[in-house]
Amino acid sequence: MAHGVWVLIEHKNGEIAPITKELLGKGKELADGLGQSLAGLVLGSNVSGLVEQARAAGAGNVYVVDDAALASYTTDGYVAAAKAAIEAHQPEVLLTGSSLQMRDFTGALAAELGTGLAPDVTGVSIEGGAVQAVRPSHGANVINALTFGSERPMIVSVRRQVGQPLDAAGSGETINVAMPQTEIRTKVRNVEQRTGAVNLADAMVIVSGGRGMGSPENYEKLIPELARVLGGTHGASRAIVDAGWVPYERQVGQTGKTVAPKLYMACGISGAIQHLAGMRSSNTIVAINKDPEAPIFKVATYGIVGDVNDVLPALTEEVKAKTGR
Amino acid sequence: MHAVVCVKQVPEQNSVKINSDTTIDASGITPIINLFDEYAIEEALQWAEKNDGKVTVISLGPDDATDSLKKALAMGANEAILINDDSLGQVGAQGAAKVVAAAIQKLGDVNIVFCGKQSTDDETGQFGPALARFLGWPQLTYVFKVHELTDSQIVVDRALEDTLETVEASLPVVITAVKDLNEPRYPSLLKIRKVSKQPIPTWTLSDLGLSADSLGGTINIAKRTPPPPRPSGEILSGDVQTQVKELVQKLIESQIL
Ligand SMILES: Cc1cc2nc3c(=O)[nH]c(=O)nc-3n(C[C@H](O)[C@H](O)[C@H](O)COP(=O)(O)OP(=O)(O)OC[C@H]3O[C@@H](n4cnc5c(N)ncnc54)[C@H](O)[C@@H]3O)c2cc1C
Ligand SMILES: Nc1ncnc2c1ncn2[C@@H]1O[C@H](COP(=O)(O)O)[C@@H](O)[C@H]1O
Repeated sequence: MAHGVWVLIEHKNGEIAPITKELLGKGKELADGLGQSLAGLVLGSNVSGLVEQARAAGAGNVYVVDDAALASYTTDGYVAAAKAAIEAHQPEVLLTGSSLQMRDFTGALAAELGTGLAPDVTGVSIEGGAVQAVRPSHGANVINALTFGSERPMIVSVRRQVGQPLDAAGSGETINVAMPQTEIRTKVRNVEQRTGAVNLADAMVIVSGGRGMGSPENYEKLIPELARVLGGTHGASRAIVDAGWVPYERQVGQTGKTVAPKLYMACGISGAIQHLAGMRSSNTIVAINKDPEAPIFKVATYGIVGDVNDVLPALTEEVKAKTGR
Repeated sequence: MHAVVCVKQVPEQNSVKINSDTTIDASGITPIINLFDEYAIEEALQWAEKNDGKVTVISLGPDDATDSLKKALAMGANEAILINDDSLGQVGAQGAAKVVAAAIQKLGDVNIVFCGKQSTDDETGQFGPALARFLGWPQLTYVFKVHELTDSQIVVDRALEDTLETVEASLPVVITAVKDLNEPRYPSLLKIRKVSKQPIPTWTLSDLGLSADSLGGTINIAKRTPPPPRPSGEILSGDVQTQVKELVQKLIESQIL
C-alpha cells in the first residue's frame, strides 16, 4: 500500500520557504521512483493560505495541523502534530530542510517514532527500488551512503540546492488532522533578529577572508565590498575569527558553518583540512593566495596567485564595471 | 542538582581511512574530546558550582575513551562512567542515545543533561534530541547562553541561523551546547595527576538491561567513500588586470554573475 512522499511545508511570515520548493521537486522525483504520490504537511496556526502555496509548488494532497499551539515552533508541539498526522496517514518518506530548527525537530521525531533519520543530506535518490541518502561526515572526508531499515516513515533532512523547484502545480485533497492534547514543556519568551547574524547556508555567493588579509581593517575594507558587488555575503577562516577580527557567525569550516554556494571565494586562506570541510562542495571555488603551494589551490576551480591587496580592489572594480552594481 | 555531560571521543582531525567493511580507521590520529562537549562540560561545572550540585560525565566508546573522561574529571567533574560493549562498535547516534538514556535512568537522580550540538566526526546532531525523547524530557538545542538555572527551572538563548530565541523550561531537561557558550577551563597538572588513579566504572549493555538488537537497524551504512576529487582547476596567468578580467569573464560565462 503506497502512502506517499511527504514534504514538510516550512514557512515564515505566511510564505513557504525556498527550501520547501526545492524539496517538492526532489520529493516528486522520489515519489515517481517509488510509484507513489507527493504530498505536503503543513504545521502551524492560521495556515490556510499555505495550502494553496504548497499546491502551487507541486504538492498533491496537503495534510494540515492548524492549531494555536503551533503558532511558534516548539519541539513538543511540532513532534506531537507531525506524529498525529503520520500515524493517521502512514507516509513512506518525510523530507524536511536541514536548518537548525528542523534538525531539532527531526532528531526528536525520529526517536519518538522509532524510525530512521538521515540527517543533513547532500543527496537522496531511489537506488534499486529503495531510498538511499548521501551525507558527508568527518569534515567532508567521508561520504556515507545510507539506507533505511523497515520502519516508516524514512525521515530525511536535506540541505539547500539538492532539489529543483517544480514548474507545475499539484492537485489533490486537503486533509485536516486534529492537534492532539499535548503538554508543551518549553516556552518561547522572545525571538529576536541576531545582530550581525548572517545566513551563510542560504547565500549563493560567499567571499571569505583569512589571515592573509593582514588586518581586521583590511578585511573590512576589501571583503564585504567584493561580496556586495558579487551579490553575496562574506565569511572567514577560523584563524581570524579566533583572532577576533570577525564574529563566529561568519566562520566557515569543520567547527563553523558548512556551506555550498554557487561561488565560494577564498582570499588569503591557506586551505587547511578543517576549512575545506566547510566549503569543498561549493559549485565554483576561486582561490586568491600569494603562495602557489597553498593547499586551497587543490580544490579551486580558478586560482589567482597574487597579493590580495592588488587582486581584490582590481576584481571589485572589474565586477562593478561589468554588472553596474 | 545532578548534571550529566555526554562526552564523545573523536579524532583530532578527520583525515581518517575507510576500512573495506565501511568502518572508520582513525588509528594514528590523536583522540580528543569533541570540541562542543568541552563547552558542555564547562557550563555544567559552572552551574553545578553555583547550585551546590555534582557533575557526572558519561561516554559511550572504546576503552581508551577513558582518556577523555579523565580530562573531564581533571576539569572538575565528580564522577565518570564509560559505557563499552563489544556489540556497540557500529551503533548510530539514535542507538547510542538509547543506551546513554538507560545509563542516566540507572543513575536515577539526574535533573539536567548537557551534550554538544554535534560531533565533529559523525556530525549527526541527532544524539541530544534523541536522548531527550528516550528520557521523556524536553530539549533545548543550540544553546548559546544559559541565563538562569536552578533545581527547577532553566532559561536559555538558542542561537539559530538568524534569530536568537529566549526559551524557558522546567527541569529535568536536555540541552545541547554551541561553540563559545563559555570559555572551557584547562585542567591543572596537579588535577590531572590527582584524577589519574580515580577508578572509572565500565557499564555494559547487560548492566543497563538492554540487548544489542533493540538498538540498531533504522539506518544502515551501505557504503562509505572518500569525497570525489574536484575537477582539476585552472591557475590564471598574466598580470593582475588580465587575471581579473579573465576571472570575471569566466564567472559571467558560467552564469554566476
Ligand atoms: C579541531 C579544529 C577545528 C578547526 N575548525 C576550523 C574551521 O571550522 N574553519 C577554519 O577555517 N579553520 C578551522 N581550524 C583551523 C585550521 O586548521 C587553520 O588553522 C585555519 O583554517 C587557518 O586559517 P587561514 O587560512 O586564514 O590562515 P593561515 O593558515 O595562516 O593562511 C594564511 C594564508 O594567506 C596567504 N597570504 C598571506 N598574505 C597574503 C597576501 N597578502 N595575499 C594573498 N595571500 C596571502 C598565505 O600564503 C596563507 O596561505 C580548525 C582547527 C582544529 C584543530
Ligand atoms: N558515544 C557517545 N557518548 C557520549 N556522548 C555522545 C556520544 N555520541 C554523541 N554524544 C553526544 O551527542 C552530541 C552530538 O553528537 P552527534 O549526534 O553524533 O552529532 C555530542 O556532542 C555528545 O555530547
